[in-house]
Amino acid sequence: MNEKQGFKFFAVFLNMTWFALFVLAPGLMVVGISFLTRDISTFFAWPLTLDHYRELVDPVYAKVLKNSLVYSFNTTLLCLGIGYPFAWFLSRAPGHRRPLLLMMVIIPFWTSSLIRTYALVILMKANGIINTVLLAAGLVSEPVSMLYTDAAVYVGLVYSLLPFMILPLYAVLEKMDIRLMEAARDLGAGSFQVFIHVVLPLSLPGVMAGCIMVFLPAMGLFYIPDLLGGAKTMLVGNFIKNQFLTAGNWPFGSAASVFLLLLMVVMLGIYFFISTRFNRSQES
Amino acid sequence: MKKWIVILCLLLVPALASAGDRTLFVYNWTEYMPDEVLTAFEEKTGINVVYSTYDSNESMYAKVKLTQGKGYDVVFPSTYFVHKMRKEGLLSPIDHASLANFKHLDPVLLDKPYDPGNTYSIPYVWGSTALAFNRDQVAPEKMQSWKDLWRPEFKNRLVMNDDVREVLGVGLIINGFSVNDTDPDHIRMAYESIRSLMPNIRVFSGDSPKQPLLNLEAWAGMVWNGEAYMAAQDFPAIQYAYPEEGAIFWVDSMVIPKEARNKKEALAFIDFILEPENALLVCEYIGYAPANRTAVGMMPEELKNNPTIFPDPEDVKKGEFQTDVGDAILVYERYWERLKTGM
Amino acid sequence: MKRWIGISWVSTVFAFLYGPLLVLMVFSFNQARYTSEWQGFSLTWYASLLENQYLLDAFVNSLTVAFVSSLAATAMGTLGAFAIAWYRFAGKKLFFGLVYSVMMSPDIVMGISLLMLFVTAGIHPGFFTLLVAHITFCLPFVIVLVHARIAGFDPAVVDAARDLGAREHEVFLKIVFPMILPAVLAGWLLSFTLSLDDVIISFFVTGPGFEILPLKIYSMVKLGVTPEVNALCTILFVLTLAAVLVAHFLIKEKKK
Repeated sequence: MNEKQGFKFFAVFLNMTWFALFVLAPGLMVVGISFLTRDISTFFAWPLTLDHYRELVDPVYAKVLKNSLVYSFNTTLLCLGIGYPFAWFLSRAPGHRRPLLLMMVIIPFWTSSLIRTYALVILMKANGIINTVLLAAGLVSEPVSMLYTDAAVYVGLVYSLLPFMILPLYAVLEKMDIRLMEAARDLGAGSFQVFIHVVLPLSLPGVMAGCIMVFLPAMGLFYIPDLLGGAKTMLVGNFIKNQFLTAGNWPFGSAASVFLLLLMVVMLGIYFFISTRFNRSQES
Repeated sequence: MKKWIVILCLLLVPALASAGDRTLFVYNWTEYMPDEVLTAFEEKTGINVVYSTYDSNESMYAKVKLTQGKGYDVVFPSTYFVHKMRKEGLLSPIDHASLANFKHLDPVLLDKPYDPGNTYSIPYVWGSTALAFNRDQVAPEKMQSWKDLWRPEFKNRLVMNDDVREVLGVGLIINGFSVNDTDPDHIRMAYESIRSLMPNIRVFSGDSPKQPLLNLEAWAGMVWNGEAYMAAQDFPAIQYAYPEEGAIFWVDSMVIPKEARNKKEALAFIDFILEPENALLVCEYIGYAPANRTAVGMMPEELKNNPTIFPDPEDVKKGEFQTDVGDAILVYERYWERLKTGM
Repeated sequence: MKRWIGISWVSTVFAFLYGPLLVLMVFSFNQARYTSEWQGFSLTWYASLLENQYLLDAFVNSLTVAFVSSLAATAMGTLGAFAIAWYRFAGKKLFFGLVYSVMMSPDIVMGISLLMLFVTAGIHPGFFTLLVAHITFCLPFVIVLVHARIAGFDPAVVDAARDLGAREHEVFLKIVFPMILPAVLAGWLLSFTLSLDDVIISFFVTGPGFEILPLKIYSMVKLGVTPEVNALCTILFVLTLAAVLVAHFLIKEKKK
């Protein structure tokens, strides 16, 4: 075996083994449990059944899924809108300052997310800092209701997921060759055209990575929406957690998470299919 | 390579070293027991205490069950989790004869339906879930009954615990049923009542129901007595009230898992906590009532007479202690999902 | 003009990121135990924090796990990104699927299934299992991040180096690695962050005697999170910020 093959073997083998042991194996357990019957004293037992998948066909769960999808989708869009320009400006900062700025993005996140969420509560509550300032400035006559609204949920979600958008975008934008843009400009392209035809296409892998890294974790997240939104909406994360912990219905919870996974595979599959088609048609 | 072996050894040594000494593994909420009590126990007995934490009864139960409780010697489940764990054979019986301080316990809290005869559990602290309100916005006479929550002036102004059993429990109470009812029809009626309460609910609090009251986001709601007591310390307008129909009571108990390795040490620990002086320290630290009659007798008058912490015996009689509802929890959960999806 | 738009955008986002932390720091000096109303300046919480051995131990444990697991995940994930970008191998699609499935698995499912795996294998939960779990949920983020950077990478450069007689590890260390470094760094930062903040998975896979800080903090809800935690977060935050700034200026001095 030569060194190239050795390297390949090492890189592939190490990752495949790890994922097989710690992702695939427990994952298969979950799939297996989803076909078993709920049991009050052992969590799950024979016989095999498809009931849990049948139970999932219920408008209540469609609503739960919709709630989560809407939150995740909007959060992803907001993060992209805020994060893209931010990552762009960051990547154009003087070279020696960039590592510092990058660190500055992440440091706030080394503080417990629960504690940070409580800090948001202190800011947004009826007798909180923002309201006190607004009242003192005479801009409003009574406290603005911010906490326990959808807006508060989005502030919290964006606050906790923004770096997952910024970092991959930065990683891609940072290597972008400034000469490409200059060349485009020399050929008479305006700023907007340069962005659409040069910058954006080259940064697409980063956009995709960022969107995935925000959207997927947002689907499972429920702590922040509960604390800031008042827990009046059930999300996929709550639902699965309740099935496992409160109801002790592991098979049903497993079926729900398997279904969620399949849904995601289909969505990503469609995306990859369209994007390869699109790339091919552009090339030809 | 050598370096790695050294590091590996360093990581393994603590695990090996503790094997020789007498050690006790306590599983509880963070800060639910003052450090000084733990240190005093270590000094008195020479037993080393290792304290780990959980964040909800449900997750503690799942973990203890999966690991068969191996590795934990004393656990602190709340009321109906004692019932559940006992029924499923996860607990080891506790010999009252070896607990010299058992006599200090308040008989009002012993021999409850969740553990008849207290064969498997020893009460630690207890409390209630009832009404709390902000006197600046709500007149006390408007918060006398669970039914008062439905008053139209509380539109979007209530806080409720984010707990399926407690919220539907209120629905059951106002329909005249027990909070431990397992009849699907009764649970449906409770759900319908709570659904009509939804416009009044501003927030389901999963962490700390006192916060929305302190934040002026909510004017009233369903709160644990300890939370109300703490809130009133910093904000005296918060008042606690036992509803006419009766409050929901709970007890946090000490239990020994069946597979615990250090049962003798666990018993010594439980007995130590039952000493009135230590029970008193616990109460002063966490603000919930100790299940210890002698300790209560030693308290300053003003604390002893604080109705938020120590309800009238009449109120206790009217109230109910939660027990495990078995498979009916699936029915509860189903209606809970409907409530929270607005269906 | 453009420069000003850039500077104001960046500062606004930084203000958004740091504002809540500023609030937290201010309130760590608040006298009140239970409310978040300002009731006077006090250093009580800093004093009692220093006596709280349990909290400090948990904090050290958290740092250890975060540091080791993020390093391991970054190294392995970088290799994984190359495996995906450069090589064809059996099961590549499955590998992709697994990577994304970790990212979206609800924590509770991952925590419980990993614990079942360890229990089945007869491994006692503790430091080691915690480490394995943390590496596992950090890996996909590193892989996706580094892969995005490699995706736009011109393979001709690598081939040219190979043609010039560079060996595979030289190609990797001298050409490829410097080019992907920003992504690797970003991946490490994200892993460290994720590991430092995880609660639910850690709850299930850790054993008695190895407590980590987020678990302690989330478990405090029964009595209300104490201002001591705010004090701890403040100290931690100020120390990190100071370390980063000092490192930055030292490097700058050196370059001059």
